[in-house]
Amino acid sequence: MRPARNPNHAIAASIAAVALAAIAATFTFDPVPPGLPGLGAVEFPRLVSAILLLLALILGLTAAAPPSEEDAPRISSRAWLIFALCLGFLPLLEVIGMIPTIPIFLVVVGLLWGGTAWRTLALSALGMGIAIWLVFVKIFRLTLPKGWLVTMLGF
Amino acid sequence: MEGFLGGLAILIDPWVMFMVFLGTVLGIFVGALPGISGSTTIALMLPMTIAMGPIPAICFLGAIYCAANFGGSITAIMVNAPGDPSASATALEGYKMAEKGQAGLALGMSAVSSAIGGIFSIIVLIIAAPLLARAAYSFGPPEYFALAVFGLSMCAAIGGDSAVKNLIAAALGVLIATVGMDLTTGIERFAFGIDELADGIKFVPVLIGLFAVGEMLDQVVRRAEKAKIIAMDAARVPGMAEFRKCNRAIWIGSGIGTFIGALPALGATTAALIGYNETRRWSKHKEEFGKGSIEGVAGPEAANNAAVGGSMVPTLALGIPGSATTAIILAGLIVQGVRPGPHLFTEQPTLLYAVFASMLAANLFYLGLGLYMAKFFARISLVPPAILWPSVFVLSIIGAYGPDQSMGDVVIMLVAGVVGFLFRRTGFSPAPLIMGLVLGGKMEETLKQSLIIFGDDVGMFATRPIAMTLLCITAVGLLWPLIARFWRMR
Repeated sequence: MRPARNPNHAIAASIAAVALAAIAATFTFDPVPPGLPGLGAVEFPRLVSAILLLLALILGLTAAAPPSEEDAPRISSRAWLIFALCLGFLPLLEVIGMIPTIPIFLVVVGLLWGGTAWRTLALSALGMGIAIWLVFVKIFRLTLPKGWLVTMLGF
Repeated sequence: MEGFLGGLAILIDPWVMFMVFLGTVLGIFVGALPGISGSTTIALMLPMTIAMGPIPAICFLGAIYCAANFGGSITAIMVNAPGDPSASATALEGYKMAEKGQAGLALGMSAVSSAIGGIFSIIVLIIAAPLLARAAYSFGPPEYFALAVFGLSMCAAIGGDSAVKNLIAAALGVLIATVGMDLTTGIERFAFGIDELADGIKFVPVLIGLFAVGEMLDQVVRRAEKAKIIAMDAARVPGMAEFRKCNRAIWIGSGIGTFIGALPALGATTAALIGYNETRRWSKHKEEFGKGSIEGVAGPEAANNAAVGGSMVPTLALGIPGSATTAIILAGLIVQGVRPGPHLFTEQPTLLYAVFASMLAANLFYLGLGLYMAKFFARISLVPPAILWPSVFVLSIIGAYGPDQSMGDVVIMLVAGVVGFLFRRTGFSPAPLIMGLVLGGKMEETLKQSLIIFGDDVGMFATRPIAMTLLCITAVGLLWPLIARFWRMR
């Protein structure tokens, strides 16, 4: 049986790629106006990126123990679905606005999470929506996004 | 003394006092919630404090910091699930005491020793911070640069999988701090034509993303079950015999906590673990440890709360965060237009002493609340994760959107959340990244100023004894594993 791969090597490679990309990006910066004393705009980011590269090399070369199963449990399909819903919060917000999105999100994610009755979830989601409206809209006078559908309907 | 009395006078203001009380209640509340730490809450609350003005805002955040450490011990004792990482050492003995039917006594001792440790460290803070600030008056840019490098090197010991990963996270934080316009040359860096990046990465969305959303995504994968709570009557004030038994543990914890807290980057969790070990080492009842020792509750609780005051010493006197949480508070001060450092003691002494006084008040508040309402706070851990974590996500969205009402900040917050989640899964700690982000700007600025002073000659650092000493300590600390290996080989 092949031994499990140590993810630290992949992590080190990713960090090194970030450092190299940062060094490469510094070559695209505008030139420093002549006559300015001291360090310019590129030296410090290059120095930090070089240190990052060196640290990535050390991480790759030293056989650091890989993260345990406890640190990185398998991501279930339900978890992926919740991640997708988190990502979907923004597009939904653009359509129906922040306040209506909140209870919908809380109930749907709560149901997917499991272990709590839908009535409890619905009540707490409603309470949360009202509390956020009171605190942020009424007290802090924050203008929360309304969403194009709500604006179109004239609310 | 005049400044301190001025600070006390501010505390008499009902609005400030209310914010301290609210911060204390909120701190205990979130401290008792497994998974939500004081740093997560302070990051979440940061946007709401912007409109408050500097004094109520900092008093509010300071009170959360003080109380969250204590709140974590409630669920550590009652549920064996530390609400805050700094309470993990308390769970070792506290839960065993609860199983033996001594939950009330464990909670009582936790409240009292936490308050003693907290008050002790604030007294040290009141004395030491002005002295350190006075000493720091002779600091120039080279010394501040060396201090920032030293502070970042201490991140190696912050926690997580390995020292190298912590240093990588810190370096990433410094690199992120370079995004946006370079103040000395006016050149845009790493902005890639994106307006939201042109002014630099803002602290608030990154902090909320890394701590709150990162933790929420991690909890989605773990899907923790609802906690089971141990029955108890009420917390009770420990008697004279118990005090006598724990006297040494409380003072050991208070001393260690204050010292560890004052070191850059090391915070309450490290203090509590060392406090527990040292309490056990110096105990006359070693045989009780592991079976529910009351000293094993008193020592780490005094230590983790003493670390709070300790970590505020370098934060306020030098502008170098003493822990991840104080790095967030430092970001909060900067957002409020307050620049911590030695000049703060002459320019805004009232603000400083109001912070000290509010922290003292927070310790007294949670002592009372802890003794009389511990049973209520313990029930907080019963909030179903299916309600708690989605709510945290919603509050994070509003928290990131609120300050500038910008959806761009929400996107930055979500990206930071994914980074925080990946960090947790790959053995990185988000705390060094925050330290790097907060210190990065100061580091570059002071390095540039130093080189102008030195006429671009790096070797001139050797002519500055304080800077050189700090750089040497940093080098020895970072190379210590190699030095130790070489020593063993001889």
